[in-house]
Parts: sequence; structure tokens; C-alpha cells
Amino acid sequence: MTNTDASDARSLTGRRRFLATTGLSAALVSGLAGCLGNGDENGDAGSGGGGNGGGSGGGAVADADPLGAPVDPSGVTWDDLGDLEGEITIYSGRTPDQIDLVFEELENEYDGLTINRDYDDNDVQVNQLEQEGDATPADVFYSQDPGALGAVHDMGLVQQLPSDVVETVPESYREPSGYWTGVSGRVRSIQYNEDRLDEVPGLDSWDDLPTDIFEYATDDRFEGIISTRPNSGTFRGFIQAMVDLEGENATRQWVRDFMDQDPQLFSGGSDQAAAVERGGDDDPIIALGNSYYAARLVNEDPNSPIRVAFTEGDAGALFSVAGVAVTNTVDDPELVAEFVRHLVAVEGQEFMMDDNGEFPVVEGVDYVGPLPGPADLDSPTYDISAFDMELQEANELLEDEGMMPL
Amino acid sequence: MKSITDAVQTSQHVQTVTDRLERADLWMVALAAASALVAFLVVLPMFWLVWQASTVELLRAYDLIVSSQTARITANSIGLMLFVTVFSIVLGVPLAVLTTRTDLPYPRFWTVVAALPLVIPSYIGAIAFTGMFGSGGEIDSLFGVSIPRIDGLSGATFIITLYTYPYVFLTTRAALLSMDSSLPDAARTLNAGPFEAFRRVTLPQIRPGIAAGALLAGLYAISDFGTPAFMQASVFTSMIYWEFGNFNVEYAALLALQLVAIVAVVLVIEAGIGRDEDASGGTRVGSTIRLGIWKWPAMGFVSALGVVTLVVPVTIFTSWLFRSEGDPIPSLEFQWEFAFNSMYLAVLAALVACAFALPVAYYSGRTNSLVSRILERATYVGFAVPGVVIGLALVFLGTRTLPSFYRQGVWLLVFAYVVRFLPQAVGTVRSSVLQVDDKTIEAARTLNAGRIETFRRVTLPAIMPGLVAGAVLVFLTTMKELPATLMLQPIGMDTLVSIIWDAQNALAYRYAAIPALLLILISGFSMLVMLFQEEGDLS
Repeated sequence: MTNTDASDARSLTGRRRFLATTGLSAALVSGLAGCLGNGDENGDAGSGGGGNGGGSGGGAVADADPLGAPVDPSGVTWDDLGDLEGEITIYSGRTPDQIDLVFEELENEYDGLTINRDYDDNDVQVNQLEQEGDATPADVFYSQDPGALGAVHDMGLVQQLPSDVVETVPESYREPSGYWTGVSGRVRSIQYNEDRLDEVPGLDSWDDLPTDIFEYATDDRFEGIISTRPNSGTFRGFIQAMVDLEGENATRQWVRDFMDQDPQLFSGGSDQAAAVERGGDDDPIIALGNSYYAARLVNEDPNSPIRVAFTEGDAGALFSVAGVAVTNTVDDPELVAEFVRHLVAVEGQEFMMDDNGEFPVVEGVDYVGPLPGPADLDSPTYDISAFDMELQEANELLEDEGMMPL
Repeated sequence: MKSITDAVQTSQHVQTVTDRLERADLWMVALAAASALVAFLVVLPMFWLVWQASTVELLRAYDLIVSSQTARITANSIGLMLFVTVFSIVLGVPLAVLTTRTDLPYPRFWTVVAALPLVIPSYIGAIAFTGMFGSGGEIDSLFGVSIPRIDGLSGATFIITLYTYPYVFLTTRAALLSMDSSLPDAARTLNAGPFEAFRRVTLPQIRPGIAAGALLAGLYAISDFGTPAFMQASVFTSMIYWEFGNFNVEYAALLALQLVAIVAVVLVIEAGIGRDEDASGGTRVGSTIRLGIWKWPAMGFVSALGVVTLVVPVTIFTSWLFRSEGDPIPSLEFQWEFAFNSMYLAVLAALVACAFALPVAYYSGRTNSLVSRILERATYVGFAVPGVVIGLALVFLGTRTLPSFYRQGVWLLVFAYVVRFLPQAVGTVRSSVLQVDDKTIEAARTLNAGRIETFRRVTLPAIMPGLVAGAVLVFLTTMKELPATLMLQPIGMDTLVSIIWDAQNALAYRYAAIPALLLILISGFSMLVMLFQEEGDLS
């Protein structure tokens, strides 16, 4: 019973709860991504020749031979890979605090490398890439939203990745033909304010939180105190996953029920998490959102009351990926291909775990940092590139049922 | 014989007059052409909107336009715009009268206090206020008193008003300063009471000034995205963003066109209200209104406003500086380069906007023709369209027209600022053009000064205050602008607001503190330049 040890505490609190007891950077999570373990055989479409279309000055990244060793699912280190030299321009929908350190690390590793970073809203980046067409200065689009990566693929703006990259990442984490690939995993969660949980009848601890996402829409106790953010890419991904698992009618019903809870609808993930943390009378006590927003708040303030729990085996704990796609008009296909290899190599993967509290997508990479082992994970497998429902349909479903931001 | 000489002389005279007329016509034609070119350039992004919107299939377009959702947000947006406009007038006009026409002590100080909120981006105000009020807010945790949360449509109206009423204040103040203030006194001698004199003499004179400011406040309100989004109020811009988020640029464009249509109606209505009165006639100092005992409540009112609009956010930003430290985020670490970039862009935008505004304002100020009015009004459209829409339009146009220069250097970004903020310069320059006395120009011409020389030596000095005021307004708003900046800046060129945005996204508010405070400081300084330049000009 003497358990101030962090690891004891972790095993005690079980697998659904986000532990925010230490100030460890982006201390994380338990309870997700059962899919980590089941490596699909990679799709065979990946290694086809040439990008789709390819514009002026563009080269086929898929044809670019590895500069050093090719990457493979068992994990290849940066030392084995070729040197990065030249300039890469990246449009990032992810925020600098999440990703800039990786870029910096690569620039430190390779003197001849310059990474031009353009940070903007994820949705804006997609629209901008579309308007720019072949005139885009971007080589790589780095996004936290598989839907956005799928969208640039649908618009014909990106080309295939090299076959060794495609074979390294399990098919459920990438586009089947290798037009984009996930680089790190993230998870949907139930954010809650630990200090206020007892305001909800029957909820004395996180352990009493429902493990079924449907209860959050139907349980009267959550009326007026629950919140979500319908305009986020991952929320739409969550809807797509639910359609996949439960069918469209059940999903519509879920949205309808959820709207009957009189939820607060935020337009920003940060605002939402900040409201849960603030804990005023009008603020939500519980919110559906990505776990890392809570992690950031705890990182900024170790006394923050925000915590995260996970549902079990349903769309509520959607394991999603952040990933990259390369544009049709890359200046230096070899460099860009090698850059992507670095992201899915061991150090790249460890970086995402260590500094962002994210999960690896490459099986052969060991867990580092405060992450749960595979035994603790419980989340159904989603093939996120192959949802039955298109992103647009997911949005229309939300619109139909009156769930729009604001 | 004599009659023949006369006839010859007359015909010569006629010839000279005709020559002059022709030259004058040529001059006006050139001016009209320059105005038309400017109007065309800044309306250019709208063609992209029309083109995008035209690709929406008719049925879906119809559904979108007539949906109950659209009706609701249209009502909300118009409501927001109207209330912000009305409240801005209610705040701005009395403040302008108070600081120019009364014996309020320290008028310069109060003028600065009343004008300064314009330098604070309204979404930053929104962040500060939501953190401050409501249960769980800073006031609650400090004093245990819970002030109701401000959010929703009323919250957005409140915040936007607080940070846009200075438009009305500044333009009204300028009009008050330049009108002949002995007129109300004359009215008083004719036995009109002070309110009667104000209503019947002063108000008609300063009405164009009020209207110009009110228009800027209203257009800002309807095109703002950040504040309503933060306050969870659903307006037109929310829906435009929703469609953008669905990667449906063409639907977003269609909605943006609807917004433009609403704005066009507003512009026409305003053109009716704000029709020009000759407000010129010198700056004789009339008697000031004695406040007597009322000066205390008056000062109390302005200080209270200053506390709410300025002290609250500045205190909050400063407190962010001392928030507990998490892991350092090197990319958000403050660098002076951010401030330099912001100022560099803002100065460029201000200069180009003035150069663009000059022909349009001069032409429409000199000839009150329908064409000149239309050209002038056309420059307002960009101000009313959300920055992200203008940004995307320019992304498209920039990559299609000059692909090799796209995102190389800042020209496209500066152009985006000009498209967005030109009306602020056009408005102020135009009102100063209106106040240049025709007779002075004619006098200069009779003294054989050429057109250019007359312009340089007579007109330009006279409109200089308007030009400076316009430049400062463009400078201030450019410093605050976010969406187009993120989209069109040379890659890797960070500015103060882009760092604030990044820090807010990362929930690492401590990194937003210095940029936010610096933004207020720099903009505040430029505001001082404008205010004192105006006063110096009048003394």
C-alpha cells in the first residue's frame, strides 16, 4: 500500500486513465491502440512507378533510391540512413511546439540541411495547397489529420512514397498505395476536470466514468456539462470511425442524442481544454477531445486539474495518426524521400513519443517515455485510410443533425 | 475695328479657357483612370470568389442560400454589425465631443486613452476577458466574486465594440477639430440650447465623420472571425470557416459572396447617410462647453473605459509572463526579429495603401459623380471579407500570375493588406480632400502654379493630416492582421501576431505575453504620432 512510486501508481490506476501526476513532458496516457500490435501485411500497391501526374520540375519520390539503408518494420536508425542535404519546405498543420524540435534535431544532425517551416491552420494549409496547385513551394505537407491527408490525395496534389517507407508503416496507418503515411499516433479521449467530477451524481472518481462512448450521449448526468469540438479533423475522424463500426444510423442517433445534452461546442481544441481546466460554473466538466491538449496544460501547470480517460473498444478512443504527404512538384525527390525515412526511423519515432507524448507507428520501435505497454492498450483497429464514409459526408452528417461549431 | 479686336480677343480667351478645360478634363480623366485601376486591383480577389462560387452546382447553392442555418447566421451577423455600429457611435461620439469641445482636464491624455483600444486585436481582448470574467475566472479566484461570463452573440458584440469604437471616436474627433466651431456659438446666440445647437448645427457637420467611422466599425464586426469564434457566437464567418474546414472552398466562396452582397447594401445605405456636407471653413476656436461638476463623472467614465479596454488585457498579458514554466518551446522564444518583421510589413502596407488611396480619395473628393462614388465604395469591399478568403484568393491569383515570385518576398502579402485595409486610408484622405477649399487651389492656379506644383504646395500639405491618419490606421491594423499573414508571408518569417497565435495554440500563454505587450506598445506609439500630428497641425 505504499505507492508513491509513479509506476506503481500507473499500474494501480489501470489502463483507462491519463496520469498527470508528474510534470514529465507530455506525460501520457494509457488505454489505446490495440491496433499497434497487429501488423497487416503491407499493401502491394505501394511500389508502383511515378507519382500521380507530377508537375513542372517535379520528380518521382517513389523512384528515389535510398541514400543509405532502406527503412524496414524492425526499426532502422538514423545512422543507417543517408545524409540529408539541401532545402525542404514543409507546410505544417501541426503546431510548432509539437514538431519544431524534430526539425531542429534533424538540422543539428545534418549541417547541409535547411528545413523551411510554414505553420498555419491545418484546414487552411489544405485549401492553400489546392489553390497553389503545381506552383506550391511546399515539398511536404505535415498534418495531424488523416482526413486532411486524404483530401490532398483526393485533389491529386500528392505523389507516392518510396516502397520501403510504405512497407515499413502498417497499412492501417497510411494510404493503401502510399500517397501519404502516418508518422505518429494520437488518441481521442474523454477530458475531465478532476476537482469537479464529484459535481456529477454517481461519479466519485474517474473510474466511474463510462467506458462506452454512447453513454456520453445518452446519460442525463452529462447534460449541460459536456462539450466537444465538431470542426476538428479528429472529431470528423471519430464520426467516420463510428460509422465504420456502428453504421450510419447509429452514428446519426449518437449525434442527435449528444446534441440533446445541450453540449458546449468549441471551435478550438485549446479553448475547450482551457475551459475544462478553468472549471467555472458555466464551463464543461467533461469534454471529448484529443489527449494531448490536456497533456500540454499539465505540462504548463503541474497543478492543473485536467485529466484524461478513455472509452474501451469503440470510436471514442479512436487511434489516429499525424502524418506526411509529399507534393507533386518536389525539387529534390531523393532528399524528400530520405527525409520521410528519417521520420519513420527509430530516432524519429522516439522523438514523437518522448517529446510529444505520441505513439509510434512502426512496430519494431520500442516504447520509450511514460507510455503504456501494448498489454495495457484497448482500442479497436481502424484502418483510417479506408473509412466507409468520406470526410465530406461526415461533415454533412454533422450539419444535418445540427452539430456545427458555435 | 474695335469690335473685331474684341472678337479676336474673345475667341482667344475662349481658346484659352477651352484649353484649360481640356487640360482639366485630361487631368480628371487621368485621375479617374488611376482610381479605376486601384479599384480594379483591390476588387480583383472578388473575381476569384465569383469564379469559385460559380462551380457550385445550382441545387446545392440554392440549398445553402435558403437554408434556415444561413438565415440564422445572416440575422446574427447583421445583428452583430448593427449593434457594434450603434454602440460604437454611442461611445465614440460623446468621447470625441468630450475631448475636443469641453474643458475636460488633460484632454490629450484622455484622447490617447480613448483611441488606444484600437491597437489591441479584438481576439486578444476576447482571450483576456474570458480569462478574467465568469466563475473560475481570474476575478473569481482573486476576489471570490463571480461576474457573469461574457460569451455568445452579446459577448462578441461587447468585445468587438470595445475594440472598434475608436474608429468612430477618431473620425468624429477629426471632423470636430476641422469644422468651424464658431457656428454652434452663433446658433447659441440665436437662442438655441446646447443640445439644440449640437443637433442642428454640429451634428450635420460631423455626420460624414461619424458615418465613416461607423462604417469601418460595422464592416470590421461583420468580417471578424476570431472574436465570435472565441465567444461561441455563430455568424457568417463561422459558416465560411466550417466550409473551409471541409475543404469546400467553392461553398465558402459562395457564402463569402453572400457576405459581400450584404456589405454592398450597407455601403449603399451608408453612402446615403454619410453624404458630404461642406465641413470646411477654418478652425476658429469657439467657446468650449463648461463641464463644471460634470467633469468628474466624465473623467470617471473615460477612465473606467480605459481600465476595461486597456488595463485589463495588459494586466492579463503581464501576468502570463509569470505563469509557471513548462518545458521550454524554443520555437516560441521571443526574438526582436518578430517585432521588426511586424513593423516592416506594416510600414510597407501603410505606404502602399496611401499611394493607392490618394487618387481614389482625391477623385471622389473633388467630383461627386456616381462613377467616383462607385470607385470609392469598391475599395471598401475587401475590408468586409474575412482575411482568410482574401488570402486564398491571392494565393490563387499570385500563383497564376507570377508563380516564380510567389511567396518570394513580401509583395503579395503587402498587397493583401492593402486590399483589406485600403478603405481606412481612403476614408481619412477623402475627408481631408473635402475640406480643401476650391478657392485656395484656384488662387494658386491664378498665380501660375502648375497642377503638380499646386498639388505639391497647396493640396498636399492640406491633406497631409488625413494621409498620416490613414497611414497610421493601416499600420495598426496590419500589425494586428493574422490569417493573410500566415498564408502569404515568406516562409519562416514570423511576426508578433503569428507568435501569439502559435503560443495560444500550444496553450503556452507565457510566450504570448511579450509579443502582445510589444504589439500594444508599438501600435500605441504610432497612435500618438497621429494624434499629436493632428493637434500640431491645428494649433
